[in-house]
Amino acid sequence: MSPGGLRPSIFVARPGHRPYNGLAEYASEVMLGNTANPIGISQAKIADLKNVDIVVGIPSYNNARTIGHVVRAVEAGLTKYFPGRRSVLVNSDGGSSDGTTDVVRAASTDFDSVMLDHRIGGFHKLVTPYHGVPGKGSAFRTIFEIAQKLEAKACAVVDSDLRSITPEWVELLIKPVLDEGYDYVSPCYMRHKYDGTITNTIVYPLTRALYGKRIRQPIGGDFGFSGRLASFYLTKDVWASDVARFGIDIWMTTTAVANRFKICQAFLGAKIHDAKDPAADLSAMLHQVVGSVFDLMEDYAEIWRTIRKSEPVATFGFVYSVGLEPIKVDLEKMIEKFRMGVRELAPFYRSFLPEDVLAFLSDLAAQPNRGAFVYPDAEWVRTIIHFALACHWKLVSREHILKSLTPLYLGKVASFVIETWESSAEEVELRLEGLCRSFERQKGYLIERWDGKA
Amino acid sequence: MKTFIDKILVQPLQEVFQKLAAFVPSLLTGIVVFAAGLVLAWLVKLLVVRISKILKIDAACTRSGVTEALQKMAVKDSPAKLVGRMFFWLISLIFFVLALSVMRVPVIDQLLERFLLYLPNIFVALVVLAIGWFLGNFLGRAALIASVNAGLKAAGPLSKGIKGAVLLFAFVMAFEQLGIGRSTVIAAFTIVFGGAVLALALAFGLGGTDLARSFLEKRFKKPGDSGQGDGLRHL
Repeated sequence: MSPGGLRPSIFVARPGHRPYNGLAEYASEVMLGNTANPIGISQAKIADLKNVDIVVGIPSYNNARTIGHVVRAVEAGLTKYFPGRRSVLVNSDGGSSDGTTDVVRAASTDFDSVMLDHRIGGFHKLVTPYHGVPGKGSAFRTIFEIAQKLEAKACAVVDSDLRSITPEWVELLIKPVLDEGYDYVSPCYMRHKYDGTITNTIVYPLTRALYGKRIRQPIGGDFGFSGRLASFYLTKDVWASDVARFGIDIWMTTTAVANRFKICQAFLGAKIHDAKDPAADLSAMLHQVVGSVFDLMEDYAEIWRTIRKSEPVATFGFVYSVGLEPIKVDLEKMIEKFRMGVRELAPFYRSFLPEDVLAFLSDLAAQPNRGAFVYPDAEWVRTIIHFALACHWKLVSREHILKSLTPLYLGKVASFVIETWESSAEEVELRLEGLCRSFERQKGYLIERWDGKA
Repeated sequence: MKTFIDKILVQPLQEVFQKLAAFVPSLLTGIVVFAAGLVLAWLVKLLVVRISKILKIDAACTRSGVTEALQKMAVKDSPAKLVGRMFFWLISLIFFVLALSVMRVPVIDQLLERFLLYLPNIFVALVVLAIGWFLGNFLGRAALIASVNAGLKAAGPLSKGIKGAVLLFAFVMAFEQLGIGRSTVIAAFTIVFGGAVLALALAFGLGGTDLARSFLEKRFKKPGDSGQGDGLRHL
């Protein structure tokens, strides 16, 4: 039992179906956990819950090993930083078979050991399966719907495999929304200088150049947002598309920025989780992530074409450095894959890359000296721009275009690693700033060709 | 004697001239029909080329690699002109057939009938070849990109092999549709294809036991490993 005498209410969806004799019987069936319709359960539960301040959502699928810690951290965070606020934790589950939902129901925080003074708060847990296309996006949609029905003022979503989440994450994701009036809180993590290379070399600089906001981790995975923004998300018809499968993170960030919601960042520290990339296969990862960014360029072309420069966003949280484990990098393998890609795929690249870019790639692939293996930012930016244009003009199969980016991406990463091997994390961040500026400088080049004027 | 000459020479000649006299109007009608068809075909060709340019067929063919393939076959005309030429010859052929049917010669009528009945086979065979060509290109390219990304050294030959196999299959189907050497072509294809598959299975299964084991271990190892031989996390 939590301090203050409040016991969490937990409702479970079970298979089976029979008609109910009125609302009273339905409600009692809900209390006993015998209902068949999980949405109906949510409806009944929502009827009891009114004027909810905070909804924290945790999407899950077979995360029994890690979700208990996440639930306890969220519960502690809500109780510690938002006492007196009505809060609901929603676990949107994709049909876990390892007892994830049982772990969620059973997880509870020993407040005596976590806090020195007892707080009184209203905290409820809601465990519900999600419906629709299997994927994180569908799980988020369920959370958005519940937040909308509960008229929540502030919401947050966190990954279910987080090992480094602390109660402070809840404060940092929710407080800017509740107290400062922000609509969207993007996470900012302390990462190893070679962590998140797709984000560092493509997604962050491209999104920054396109939409004018310097959001460092646009596909972070843990976000805060207002109830107003959650309702706005639900007005978009994307839930049967790739957004529902794997593009929800970048979609949330881009939609918030492009539609001029108030954005900020929150520094959360290190993000340590069970590494579950969308696919262990790098080319599949590029296809999904970069493909999502390119798709959003189509949707918001009228907006990003008018933006000429980027500006920083407010950052909350105390920025500190953490010691991170060193990462092993196999440069020879990356360079070899780059060389093979350029050699074998040159005829394919010729159908959408200009001759000067092709000539540069051939020269770089023929470079025998590792120290001189340099993929300059300007050439990288033009490469990405032409890949985006190839997808925009549908020159050839989109999947082939995106997957053929893999060798070139490895070449850029290899060049970046060689250049920054002796650099500190701060120096690497400055180096990335140079890459971002390069993307911004060449935006006019992109716009001309996007419109077919060049 | 005069009667003999009449019977042997004059009467047959008269019959020939009579038949010719009866045939000439049909012949002239046929020539007029064919000439009209040529004029119409030329006009349709101009119209089709104009429409193809409006629809940007040339640009689409350049993007999809059709133009490059045609140039490799020493076809210098643009795809729009080629389409126009196809329509020209198609309409010319139709009017040629019409012109022949107007002449009402039984043997020609029979030949025409058999030719017209055979035309759908030619059309289907062309469609099969076209689909085979596009599919071969698509699958070959998909195999090339996948094998390059997987770091396979034989990416190029593998891709060409797949493209070649699909094209070969399409050719066999086209020949079967046309009824050309049916059993021979099918038997040859079966022998070659089956033999290649058997050879690969034996080579990989027997000769590469250890390689197969290590390949499968590498392929299905835990997703926690990056698969790149390093510790980079790309997201």
